Amino acid sequence: MGVLAVILWSLILIPAAASVLIAMRTEKSAQTVAMISSLIGVVLALVAAAQFDWSNSGAMQLGTESGIPLIPALGVTLSTGVDAIALWLIILAAFLQPLMVWGSSTAINENKRSYYGWLTALFPAMVGVFVARDLIFFYACFELTLVPMYVLISSFGSTNRKKAATKFFLYTFTGSIIALAGLVYVAVFNLNLDPATFAGAGEWNFDIAVLQQAAQAMPLGQQGLVLFAMMAGFAVKVPLFPVHTWLPLAHTEAPTAGSVILAGVLLKLGTYAILRFVVPFAPDAVLEWAWLIAVFAIVGIVYAGLICWVQRDVKKLVAYSSVSHLGFCILGLFALNMTGLQGSVLYMINHGLSTGALFFCIGMMYERYHTRSFNDLGGLARKMPIWAFFMGFFTMASVGLPGLNGFVSEFLCLIGTFQSGADGIDGIGGTFGPLGPWYAAIAGSGMIVAAIYLLFMMGKLVFGPFREPDGYEHHGPLPEDLSPREIGICVALAVPCLVLGLYPKLITDSLEAPLQQTIDIYTGEDPALADANNPMTVALVPVDRTPSVLFEEATR
Amino acid sequence: MQELASNLMNITTLLGASGGESLFTYQESSGGPGWLGLIPVLPAIAALICLLLLFLARKGMASGKSRGPAYLVLGFLALSFILTLSGFLMWNGQGKPAWIVTLFDWINITWNSGDGEQSLIANFGFYFDGLSFLWMLFVTFLGSMICLYASEYMSGDKGYARFFAAFGLFVASMSCLVLGDNLVMLYLGWEGVGLCSYMLIGYFYTKPEAVAAAKKAFIVNRIGDLGLALGLYLIYTTFGTVQYDELFRAVAERTDAAGSPLDFATMWQSWAIPCLLMIGAFGKSAQFPLYVWLPDAMEGPTPVSALIHAATMVTAGVYMIARMFPLFLMDPDLHALHAVAWIGTFTALLAATIGMAQFDIKRIMAYSTVSQLGYMFAGLGFLTTTGGAYHVFTHAFFKATLFLACGAVMHGFAGQLDLRKLSGLWSQPGWRITSVAMLVGCINLAGLPLTAGYFSKDMILAEAFYTPDSLIHFSGLMGWILLFTAGLTAYYTFRVFFRVFVGPEHYEPGDEAYDHDSDETGEESHHPVEEHGDHHADHFHPHPPGWAINLVLSVLAIGSILAAIPYFVSDGNDKSKGWVGDMLYSSSAFYKSPAGHADKHGNETAVLVPADPVVLPASFADEPAAAGAAKGKVPAADAWPVRDQVEAGSILGMDPHKAMYYISAVFGLIGILIAAYLHGPKGPAGLFIGNRTQAATSRADALLPKLGPLPRWAQNKWYVDEFYEATIRLPLWVFANIFHAIDKLLIDGALVDGISSLPKAFARSIRPLQSGVLHSYAAGMAAGLGIILLVVWVFSL
Repeated sequence: MGVLAVILWSLILIPAAASVLIAMRTEKSAQTVAMISSLIGVVLALVAAAQFDWSNSGAMQLGTESGIPLIPALGVTLSTGVDAIALWLIILAAFLQPLMVWGSSTAINENKRSYYGWLTALFPAMVGVFVARDLIFFYACFELTLVPMYVLISSFGSTNRKKAATKFFLYTFTGSIIALAGLVYVAVFNLNLDPATFAGAGEWNFDIAVLQQAAQAMPLGQQGLVLFAMMAGFAVKVPLFPVHTWLPLAHTEAPTAGSVILAGVLLKLGTYAILRFVVPFAPDAVLEWAWLIAVFAIVGIVYAGLICWVQRDVKKLVAYSSVSHLGFCILGLFALNMTGLQGSVLYMINHGLSTGALFFCIGMMYERYHTRSFNDLGGLARKMPIWAFFMGFFTMASVGLPGLNGFVSEFLCLIGTFQSGADGIDGIGGTFGPLGPWYAAIAGSGMIVAAIYLLFMMGKLVFGPFREPDGYEHHGPLPEDLSPREIGICVALAVPCLVLGLYPKLITDSLEAPLQQTIDIYTGEDPALADANNPMTVALVPVDRTPSVLFEEATR
Repeated sequence: MQELASNLMNITTLLGASGGESLFTYQESSGGPGWLGLIPVLPAIAALICLLLLFLARKGMASGKSRGPAYLVLGFLALSFILTLSGFLMWNGQGKPAWIVTLFDWINITWNSGDGEQSLIANFGFYFDGLSFLWMLFVTFLGSMICLYASEYMSGDKGYARFFAAFGLFVASMSCLVLGDNLVMLYLGWEGVGLCSYMLIGYFYTKPEAVAAAKKAFIVNRIGDLGLALGLYLIYTTFGTVQYDELFRAVAERTDAAGSPLDFATMWQSWAIPCLLMIGAFGKSAQFPLYVWLPDAMEGPTPVSALIHAATMVTAGVYMIARMFPLFLMDPDLHALHAVAWIGTFTALLAATIGMAQFDIKRIMAYSTVSQLGYMFAGLGFLTTTGGAYHVFTHAFFKATLFLACGAVMHGFAGQLDLRKLSGLWSQPGWRITSVAMLVGCINLAGLPLTAGYFSKDMILAEAFYTPDSLIHFSGLMGWILLFTAGLTAYYTFRVFFRVFVGPEHYEPGDEAYDHDSDETGEESHHPVEEHGDHHADHFHPHPPGWAINLVLSVLAIGSILAAIPYFVSDGNDKSKGWVGDMLYSSSAFYKSPAGHADKHGNETAVLVPADPVVLPASFADEPAAAGAAKGKVPAADAWPVRDQVEAGSILGMDPHKAMYYISAVFGLIGILIAAYLHGPKGPAGLFIGNRTQAATSRADALLPKLGPLPRWAQNKWYVDEFYEATIRLPLWVFANIFHAIDKLLIDGALVDGISSLPKAFARSIRPLQSGVLHSYAAGMAAGLGIILLVVWVFSL
């Protein structure tokens, strides 16, 4: 266990301890402790980034060599490590955390211990998902994120919060169980492999790298089952059309910080899991079924986009826009080429920033007017010009305006989709892949739809004739326009939006190596795609060892 | 026939010998002076400072009491112009190379695709050649001028700093659009100017019309942008690069970036790429069917209309097609250029008919812009990028003049724009400069002989007849339509002039529709004397423009006249096409014959002809080799034969280049005379044929009822907006609602809640069993036991 592994473990353990501390101490100190803990998180993430060897960004670093054995008989270990993809997402989560704490200053006035405690507890669970190199560890963290979020929604949300929280929990939990079944199926398959096939085969092993090799050895039919099982879980989390309906409800009912973290990081757990598990585990099945997933993604882009347009609640509009936006992210993922994957990972980060920021802005407005309805509000630029500026800024980031971050990712996703599978046509810009120009052309119409609904939102809420709720009188601790604290939050989010829009190389350079590994599965020198000569597809151990027998053997 | 065959052989050999030569001037690029990279950066800095002013000094600088923000932006823009000018002079002196200046890496991804390295590189780099210098010169010059104008026009407005922040950002974006050295940078500028246009159209954001117009502009543009984006993707997929330098070399060599040959004649991309790019151009440059946003865009402040919606941004489509001209020539049948020519012609006519029937002078100018852009597109379609670009150049000056003059009127008469309510400004005190500037703009727009607009329009019109029918089918017909449209243009232009600027003195103030925040006190402190009377017609005193507006109007009016000079100035590369032709010669927009004809020295007849599939009669066989090949079926797929003077088109049997001077002058004069007859005042100002003695009525009013519903339809813009509303927006909105209902009721309701309620329903259905009644438990036990026994018995059989 390398010394540097301490960094990642501290990222998990310190906030976890802090959340316990918050619960034990007073209401007054809750926010302070949460703030300190989140700032420690930022520092640790920066330390991790500083210690990370960026020239070797594809390798798992800062982790444990072999892991801390948890259930040795089943091969479950607490092994950690990050590559550039995971590290960037950790940085995103760590960056959003203090902003959420800071942004809740005036919104949450009672039950602070519970609120900040759970908010802080969410962080280690998210980090756990990104650092886990063991399947069980990963899955545990993946599910653990549900609990704090459930409490945040059900205790601190709006009127319909109980229903939203329950739906959120049950929906994603049910999906995850199916995904777990698929992943365990891979583990059992690995168990039945000839131990000579590769290191780790033929035994209980939950190491993700080992399982990846095992899954790639599966015949197409079984890979297909695994693919659909995993997608059932992860697509709900993303959320992909048609399993998206929990999201608008959860977003609308959640407190501001809850919406921010939900859009900012929690949804990305789904896309991250697809990138980490679905795409490398089941290459054959992915090639077989990518078109279907892409169709769902495209339908989601247009369908959810149009639904945005008829919303009366601005928060619901932004929530649906997440469904639409994440469609691009999924599309880029299943383009299976460098541009698409780059775009997809960038999308995870950029969407987290811009949509998270939009939720912040809406929250700031809500704190003043206690309504989010287009019927009650309009032309707020007149009264809140600074707020209007930031609202416009983040809307433009969201709509994909070049120069801001959203464009780069959307552009790469679409160009990746376009190229994918176009290697047959004249020219050299095409790459291997299952999609093609038509997918990009139809998904591209989402650009128009996005402009329609986002400008509709701007036109109603920010511009147009000034309108306030009937009998509204300004009072409370907040000024008419944004307070310095709120400006600080907006600026903190706007700066990375601009920087990543103008200099995405900051991230894309480091993503090249890890993503190259992913596309090498498909097009590398030794692709894992099933063919007659692949020795691994016939390497099953010819014995009738059923899982239960093996389990007894192992635990004896 | 045999002779023809041998001729074809000859031409094939000839082409074979010059195999690698390009269809246009491909220039090897080199690094340029780094300070040129500041041209787009300076306006961006100015915009940023304005933004900070908005935040930090909200009460003082930003509120329009001080003209600080305007002068700040003006300073930076002027600096940008000076840099452009010095860069241009330096470039000119060094033999017009193609320069690339890279600021920093932007999108830069490299990977191993399995069979080699692939990359996607689009950096923040700028490409300087004749085309981009031409555009940048007038963009930065007019930007500075109109900024000065706006410093007065916008003064007293609450959003002063906001206006100039967007103004600066616009010039920065436009510079990126024009200068970008790759298509993604062009796209960045393209969307950037779209955003600024959105912000500035919606500048008076409390006005619902302004907000709606801004939204419309952005969304309609996005439709075009999708075409551009897809074209970009297809270019990348085909050529493996989006950088101009590599792209043009690839097109010239007919290869992809890796060097493997491409057969343009059989590739579907060779027509698909230009067609997609064309859609983008139609959106940005307001061509049919995507023109509907531009007239509405007049909701923005007038300087914006002048700069963005007349002089610069809307010409971006012309720029893009000119820049991408090598790609438009890929297609042997020139599908896209046919479409460009027809759409341009149709738009010119359609917009002119609408413009004739409008009463709002700013709207008339807007439709005239759409119409003139149609001319530019038609010019591109007739393969005269020079004509298109020159018309852009002259139009930028005279249309800016016209708009700014209209703006001065609007500013002075409290928002009055109705030509029925204004008359005789010429003789009113303080309005002389405005009136003269207006006249200069009008004669240019109407194409009065020897004006800049006359020469540039002629260039396009002549080419319509000159370009042979085999190349662009029905180009002659389009030429006649455009000539007719030129007459209409002259009519509606002088309709405005005769009604508003000459004749009996009369005015009614507007309703201060663009209310410069009139609900707040003291906001109009720049003209305190008029302040009390502004809103009452009885005491209304128009306030004539001040020094800044007058200065800018004078400069631009002189500029409009001087814009004719480039027609005659040439450094000898391409004599008949003037300075603009010289500029374009050193850019990708220029095309030339592949067979080594010396078009470099004035032989403008050597025009490129793509493969014509029609085999012509043998009678052509005794023509010179080149001409024969042009008429015959072209043997090699990539043979681009050369057209000789023999079969150049003509107009009424004359050389179009010479005859057009007279023909177009006639059309223009007829239009002006009709305007004078219908709207002109009595006396010399009405050219002695007008008889209007009142402000509001003219002979045209008597004529109108006799024309049936046509004028009303034209006034209502041929109901195109209503048509779009009914066929596009409404169905989409209905679908959105249906989707929403499906989402709520079917997916979330029936499926999700339905499935999730199953366990509960099941539990509820068996709950009665847990009744607590001992008898029923006993009965249940007995029944269960019975079933088990039955099953055991059945299976043991």
